[in-house]
Amino acid sequence: MANEYDVVVIGAGTGGYVAAIRAAQLGLKVAVVEKQSALGGTCLIWGCIPTKALLEHAHALKVAQSAKEWGLTGIDGAGVGIDMVAVHARKDKMVSGLTGGIEMLFKKNKIEWLKGTARLAGKQGVAVTLHDGTTQSLTATKEIIVATGSAPRSVPGIDVDRKTIIFSDEAIHLPYVPKSIAIMGSGAVGVEFASIFKSYGSDVTVIELLPRLVPGEDEAVSTELERTFKKRGIKVMTGSKVTSAKSGAKGVDLEVETAGKSQKLSYDLLLVATGRGPVTEGLGAEAAGLKMDRGYVVVDALFKTNVPGISAIGDVITMGGPHYQLAHVSSMEGILLAERIAGHTVQPINYDHVPRCTYTEPEIGSVGLTEAQARQQGHEVRIGTFPFRALARARMAGETDGFVKIVADKKYDEILGVHIIGPRATELIAEAVMALRMEVTVEELIKTIHAHPTMSEAVGEAAHAAHGAAIHL
Amino acid sequence: MSTPVVMPQMGESIAEGTIVRWIKKVGDTVDRDEPLFEISTDKVDAEIPSPAAGVLMDIAVKEGETVPVNSVVATIGAAGEKLAAAEPGKAGGVAPASPVLPDLPDQPDQPDQPDQPDLSDEGDRQKSSPLVRRIAKEHNVDIGRIHGSGIGGRVTKQDILSFIEGGGTPSIDSRSARPASAPLAQDQPPVFRGAGDQVVPMSVMRKKIAEHMVVSKRTSAHVYSVFEVNYSRVDQIRKAKKEDYERAGARLTFTSFIAKVVVDCLRQHKVINASIDGDNIIYRNDINLGIAVALDNGLIVPVVKAAGEKNTLGLSKAIQDIAERARAKKLNPEEVHGGTFTITNPGNFGAQFGLPIINQPQVAILGVGTIEKRPVVVDDAIGIRLMGFLTLGYDHRLVDGAVADQFMSDVKKGIENFDPAQA
Repeated sequence: MANEYDVVVIGAGTGGYVAAIRAAQLGLKVAVVEKQSALGGTCLIWGCIPTKALLEHAHALKVAQSAKEWGLTGIDGAGVGIDMVAVHARKDKMVSGLTGGIEMLFKKNKIEWLKGTARLAGKQGVAVTLHDGTTQSLTATKEIIVATGSAPRSVPGIDVDRKTIIFSDEAIHLPYVPKSIAIMGSGAVGVEFASIFKSYGSDVTVIELLPRLVPGEDEAVSTELERTFKKRGIKVMTGSKVTSAKSGAKGVDLEVETAGKSQKLSYDLLLVATGRGPVTEGLGAEAAGLKMDRGYVVVDALFKTNVPGISAIGDVITMGGPHYQLAHVSSMEGILLAERIAGHTVQPINYDHVPRCTYTEPEIGSVGLTEAQARQQGHEVRIGTFPFRALARARMAGETDGFVKIVADKKYDEILGVHIIGPRATELIAEAVMALRMEVTVEELIKTIHAHPTMSEAVGEAAHAAHGAAIHL
Repeated sequence: MSTPVVMPQMGESIAEGTIVRWIKKVGDTVDRDEPLFEISTDKVDAEIPSPAAGVLMDIAVKEGETVPVNSVVATIGAAGEKLAAAEPGKAGGVAPASPVLPDLPDQPDQPDQPDQPDLSDEGDRQKSSPLVRRIAKEHNVDIGRIHGSGIGGRVTKQDILSFIEGGGTPSIDSRSARPASAPLAQDQPPVFRGAGDQVVPMSVMRKKIAEHMVVSKRTSAHVYSVFEVNYSRVDQIRKAKKEDYERAGARLTFTSFIAKVVVDCLRQHKVINASIDGDNIIYRNDINLGIAVALDNGLIVPVVKAAGEKNTLGLSKAIQDIAERARAKKLNPEEVHGGTFTITNPGNFGAQFGLPIINQPQVAILGVGTIEKRPVVVDDAIGIRLMGFLTLGYDHRLVDGAVADQFMSDVKKGIENFDPAQA
């Protein structure tokens, strides 16, 4: 049958497209249904990738602005500006290069891309409505993979008009630098845009309901981020709630309540970064009998739904609680699922070892337990911290904010968590992820040679600190 | 056709073996029964012959690794067969011409147990992590006994913690008679290293000896009795019979006489030829005589089985045979097990007498001191006689002093009054 495949993947984000490639590598016949005009999903088109482009522009701008300090001639530091049209042009070029790359990989692996929307249709069936209006019925003899992802979500009472009250989807393509912007929510998305817009010259205010920025991170990281944000002139309103947001004459008018006191504030834009919700519209999940929980597809540790022959991965799933909505988690889930479908024995992911990266300035990279979580779980905690200001390489880069903090258990010298805020934190965390996965002790980390001069020396020094004293402090 | 090569079961009590050396490399052609690799088990080193003729396709267990018996350690392929592609399923970017995986069309669903390790990884049980090793050390747990749920059978933190929680940990004080493993460096203070000191990893044999000695010291209540024996008579018999023995292909040595007398006396004193098993005493039916043989870098105790059924000539031949083969590493591993009493000979190197450690699970060991001419009192005069000390090390848990001394007294009498007709 022409429309018969081993595997049909719905959604070509990092979860879906990686699952498709892996399944094809393992000899399976794969079709992918994706409604967007490009492959790659949120990560490539609206999320991880384009924000990193904006970040690199911000970095270039920062160097140019401090031309005098760097001894650069021919640049008038004070007059340096940024052309958002050029920024977006470069960013879009990069992004389309990457999405085109996935198309190439699909061709190479003989994966069929159907451009349209998909609906679950009976046992092993997927009904596809192509963009030209025609329909096709696909059969997945082995497995249907639901990888439909997530979309930004607001909170009750705040209506996003996508003009002055916007989501990250709009912020990423904003063709100008807003004079002022308020950002609701200080998770990774909120603080990243705060950092970017501040670099571009906006007047930025971050409004967070909880008492500290990046509430998922270790408290020390939150404190350091708030300190550096304030140093850069970003206004931070923690423990504050946006009770009303309305489009006004000059942008958006907010009412913000802090510790029982309400105040009225006005900005050009309000970016709502309060989280993301599952995308299942039009999928026919309920009709197919899929067990759902608050809109998420319920799966087991190996991504099986309650309906045989249908599995799900990525932002759209729940395993019973909140699930990491991260590209690298989705892609690993895609790989494991493809291998499972191909008959390999796979092991569930240990979600305690997922790296979390936040691309602010300074960056944040973390893995494992925070100090508070470790204490709460009854560990006898040992902490080792090393500040980047004591590191030669960080001084050369002129990026001395932040630290590496290791949370360890005294009893067996186990590394429980590593929290890095500072230059290259998102790269440095890789070593810590490996250390946790391989169950490395602090002692082993101390005895691991860290090249000099590198930022990674801070990790070794923090390990030393956990055992008593860092060498260079 | 390819033939899997497994870690041989070298003896009933042997559960695992260590690959000491691969004699053949991947790609080498081997004949059937040609030595393929060298192993080291509990006590013995042995060369293992190839089970088939062909080409060594794959080595699954590297030198120095220890695996349970019957683990696949290598694959022999038919002559001319191509070396297998490194890793099926991981072939580069190009889609393989045919699916690398077995097609399972109507298999309803994959097994649900996610942590079921690949069978092919059975041999890698001992994989662990620094954290696991740390926990194992603290709890005196042998990681080899834990089922590893990680990739490639790696023992994870979770595995060892549930093992310990499940009561898998044999603590030293609760059953001191049979510690599951005896870490060598337990409670050992830090060892300083001076400049120029050489640090060399222990051989498998050295580790085993170290382990066995510590276990024995901790297990048995060692006590010693020393007797002086006049060998003049057996020396005369030895000189008289030497040539007869040589014609029979044997060497008549003092050890021959001692072994013969010991065997006879063990028959009379059954408690010396015994073992302790928990609250039970096992009186051995057979007398299997262990003979300690010094090697270049260690020590091995091959066993003369059913020594009680042999005459002096038979014992001489058997001892000579196992000692020679021990030095040539040609022992069958079965030949180092099942001993019920051991003779060791520190006198070979001039020691007046030794205080040997019991070879578990035996309860006594005889140490033979050097045999030399000494002035002795003979009928109120001083004469020159061929003398030597014999030491009995025994386990006072089972053997009391009086019993041990009666045994030794009988051994002394047996040697000093050896019946030439028995030689």
